[in-house]
Amino acid sequence: MLKVENVTKYYGDIKAVDNLSFEVRPGEIFGLLGVNGAGKTTTFRMITNLLDPTSGKITLNGKKIDYNMTDKIGFLTEERSLLTKLTVKEQCYFFGALKGMSDNEIEKSMNSLLNEFEVAEYKERKIKELSKGNQQKIQFVTAILNHPKLLILDEPFSGLDPINVELFKKVIIRLANEGSMIIFSSHRMEHVELFCEKLVILVHGKSVLEGYLKDIKENYQKKNILIKGDLTKKDLENIDGVIKVEKLKDEFNVQIKDKSYIDIVFNNIKKFKIIKFVVEEPTLNEIFVEKVGESYEK
Amino acid sequence: MKAMRNKLGFLISVSLKRKIKSKWFIIANILVGLLIIGLLNIDTIINYFGGDFNEKRVIYVVDNANAYESFKDFLSKSAILSFENENDTYDIILTQKSIEELKKDYDSESDKKEFWIVAFNKSEKNVIDAKVISKSFIDTLDYQLLVGAINNTKTMLAIRDYNLSEDDINRLFGTIEVEREIIDENQKSEDEMMASMFTTVFPVVVLPFFILSIMLVQNIGSEVNDEKTTRGMEIIISSVSPRKHFFAKVIAGNLFILIQGILLLVFGGIGLFIRSETSTLVAKGSFDLTEITSKLITPSIISELTSIIPALLILMILTFIGYSLVAGILASMTTNAEDFQHVQTPIMMISLVGYYLSMMAGIFKGATFLKILSYFPFISAILSPSLLVMGDATIIDFIISALIMALTNYLLIKYGLRIYKVGILNYSSKDLWKKMIKALKEK
Repeated sequence: MLKVENVTKYYGDIKAVDNLSFEVRPGEIFGLLGVNGAGKTTTFRMITNLLDPTSGKITLNGKKIDYNMTDKIGFLTEERSLLTKLTVKEQCYFFGALKGMSDNEIEKSMNSLLNEFEVAEYKERKIKELSKGNQQKIQFVTAILNHPKLLILDEPFSGLDPINVELFKKVIIRLANEGSMIIFSSHRMEHVELFCEKLVILVHGKSVLEGYLKDIKENYQKKNILIKGDLTKKDLENIDGVIKVEKLKDEFNVQIKDKSYIDIVFNNIKKFKIIKFVVEEPTLNEIFVEKVGESYEK
Repeated sequence: MKAMRNKLGFLISVSLKRKIKSKWFIIANILVGLLIIGLLNIDTIINYFGGDFNEKRVIYVVDNANAYESFKDFLSKSAILSFENENDTYDIILTQKSIEELKKDYDSESDKKEFWIVAFNKSEKNVIDAKVISKSFIDTLDYQLLVGAINNTKTMLAIRDYNLSEDDINRLFGTIEVEREIIDENQKSEDEMMASMFTTVFPVVVLPFFILSIMLVQNIGSEVNDEKTTRGMEIIISSVSPRKHFFAKVIAGNLFILIQGILLLVFGGIGLFIRSETSTLVAKGSFDLTEITSKLITPSIISELTSIIPALLILMILTFIGYSLVAGILASMTTNAEDFQHVQTPIMMISLVGYYLSMMAGIFKGATFLKILSYFPFISAILSPSLLVMGDATIIDFIISALIMALTNYLLIKYGLRIYKVGILNYSSKDLWKKMIKALKEK
């Protein structure tokens, strides 16, 4: 289990991470969310032993993370971190060896993953000759080459088309099913929502929301109602408990204070000809926007 | 993982392979090899392609003073002394033609090689008068030899007029045997020391050291910089400690220049071997390779080098390590290749200063300033050998320099590692020095 306990990190006078705590168990996929500069990368760097926390403790299976343990960790950085002059094969051998793997282990793992990511044909090509998407695939392959117990993915989907996002998701879920602990950050809330079980939202290095996604959504008071009928936006805005009405294509998205107002809204609009009335959980993006005060999607 | 790897060894081998297996390393060494072999045999190459210099200079002598034989004799002897090739330099022909007729030949034989005219006439005042005519300018050395031979001819003719015997002439012209005694036999003449310095220390020690130290700095710097700018460093340092990474770069860099140094020696050896097999003689000038190569294999020079080689090697290795430590530390602080180009300039300047000071050692014998500088880290390895050959330094001075360099390296490792650890993961030049000073203070 990865345990981050009361971790604080200062850069000079600036507090990058403020008393952060969370746990990731084997098989869990954990989301670390926050706007740029929220402290996500600093947290990842502390977990991977690149930075020492100013205070607090980070342990993996009860032991402090040091260079005796890094062989069990896989790390995909936000920016490309490939040695572009090397070929794909050389790159895999280089990073694999740094993770303590033997040549046989590297060869076997590399071939299997390159096939899975459909990039086996580029094995002898130099990294700099590959497209951005394929470079991202290679970076991902090198991060999971050692079948890590702990996998850290900083913006893993950047530069990927939807088909490759699905491919990545499939592999991430497979690794989680095999018992890996996975922490990742993403700007795309729909990705986080799809397979992230637990999350922390950071604002200025401090956790403003944390827990299981299911619980977060359940405990989030505001709900959305999708309404389609012969009524106007004004008819909805005047109802008690309605916070916001948004006109979508041919329906309205009505945000209410909490679920106790569902009946009130329903009773107020039943005089109209209503063909759709669906109560929905809020999206993670809405929760995030409210908690952080700004949207990733801008 | 079942099989544990030695990550330091792996990083060293990867770094070394990356340098040596590069096609540019191979191309550069082929070119360097050809250049060194070519330079060591440059006179042979020049002679092979030929030119005016190796054609006989034709001299027509218009002799109205019975001077031809003496002039020919003197000029031939001078040529042998100056060019070391017997009777191959001048074709001295006695002609019955007049000066005017010969001058006409300049026009009629314009497509042929040039010839010179030396005309002798009797003179009441000077025994003989001489006139030298040429179509174009005569080389200084040739002209000096001509004038010398003319003057000697005049003296010879004058002596003949006094009916001196052969013995008298020999006594007049014979060389005086000077008996020379130097009380301190260990002291060599300044000329000998200068010769040793320019023929052995410079080409064998100073120049290769200078070239290799620059290569070392550039190699380590560019490799660290490459890993930093591609952000590959993040993955590397998340797997191996900065300390291990730093030492891997330093060791690989030094092994690389060791290989490069050996290659330079091999190229030099091949060049000298070819020279010994194909050597041809050329005019003596300010730069005489034959003399340099022969000096290199003089027993006294070899024994001198042998006595200082262990100390010199230790000092050089320590200095190379020092250069690689500085290069690694500075490269870790830079955020792009351009920045490293800037920071490596002072390192190169230090090396260049050492190079020039080393040359100065031959001019300013016994200079206290140079002696003090010879203890300075980074400069010592390049300056001390010159001072030693000039007799201004001893093995003890070498040992002191080596100890100072070793202490410098220790401090560079102790404090430089702190900078390296922070520097390699720093991608912003903002507050760079503040960050580095802070890193220095941290334990």
